[in-house]
Amino acid sequence: MRQTEPQSAATWMLEHLTPGPRNEALVGDLLEEFRERRSAAWYWRQVLSAIAVGCSREILNHRTVLLFAAVWSMLAPAWLLLLARMEEHFNFSARIWRMDWPWSTVCDLGSMLAANLFFIWAGIFLYLLPHLWATKNLRVRPLSRGILASLPVLLVVWVALIVLPKIFLQGQVVDQHSVPPVSTYSSRQLAQVEIQQVSPQQQWDVRYGYKVIDPYNDPRNAIADMRTAALAVRLPFFLTVLCTLWGFASRRRNRIAA
Amino acid sequence: MTDRSYLGEFELMILLAVIHLGDQAYGVPISREIERNRGRDVSVGSVYAALERLENKGLVSSSFGDPTPERGGKAKRFFQVTQAGLRQVHETRRVLSELWRRLPELKGERS
Repeated sequence: MRQTEPQSAATWMLEHLTPGPRNEALVGDLLEEFRERRSAAWYWRQVLSAIAVGCSREILNHRTVLLFAAVWSMLAPAWLLLLARMEEHFNFSARIWRMDWPWSTVCDLGSMLAANLFFIWAGIFLYLLPHLWATKNLRVRPLSRGILASLPVLLVVWVALIVLPKIFLQGQVVDQHSVPPVSTYSSRQLAQVEIQQVSPQQQWDVRYGYKVIDPYNDPRNAIADMRTAALAVRLPFFLTVLCTLWGFASRRRNRIAA
Repeated sequence: MTDRSYLGEFELMILLAVIHLGDQAYGVPISREIERNRGRDVSVGSVYAALERLENKGLVSSSFGDPTPERGGKAKRFFQVTQAGLRQVHETRRVLSELWRRLPELKGERS
């Protein structure tokens, strides 16, 4: 016997998983067609196709944001290299670790977070600059919303990058340069991982070969690093910039359409 | 602006279906019309995506009807071709007709 109602799971997916504003007319059209003459398989095919079409349209609409987030996150290893160089020069962590626990940990994580947020917000500002130039109108509300949204996104990805190595690297011996910098804290403090410590110069030699005389003067090598660890380092930056600017770009598009 | 951009195959089919259906041009009949002529299933989601592209280009406009029980209380979205849309259809037809008209001459030259 033919079903008279489509499966509620399919309708729920259509209403909640299709990106963009809810298309009530599409939901009604599929329901009307199903009730008149179509099968459950047809309904499922239409739902999955509508979700795929919605996703591809959203990606296409946000291609500038995607490209910018990818390019900006490519620069993240160079930024971390600059921080490492400053750390080497000013030796902040030695001063921090002189404090009592938990202040030492709070300051250590806080300074890392602040440095990363500074890089992310600089990227966001750079992306918005041409828009501000063109419109001559700074709408503070969506911008501040985006900047505030970047904080939880960064924290979630950061925690994931700290927790995941703890699960997967427990009890293993790993090279220091194979652990993403954000996870070094976790390996040192939380997971029982023995890290083969090497000096910064040795690390650099292992990564990029002995021919580099003064690697800290040439961050291009860090930008060109495409290994898994370097990509993992870029991930929080990519996702945070993307999530922040995605909402801003959507609101801007809706405003233009209106 | 729209005068200089040509319609894609699917967009042209949708515009022609909307013109053909007149006052009854909403998602279901438009999809059926295209299915009947193409001879295979069409994704209603793709039809809406194309219609929204056409609306953004100013080639169609849309308005909502009343909600009906057979559609689960959802309203129909009716589409109408604008003057710019009609001009675009005529322009595309002129270009395609011209191209088709020249085709036999090309064949004749080869033989």
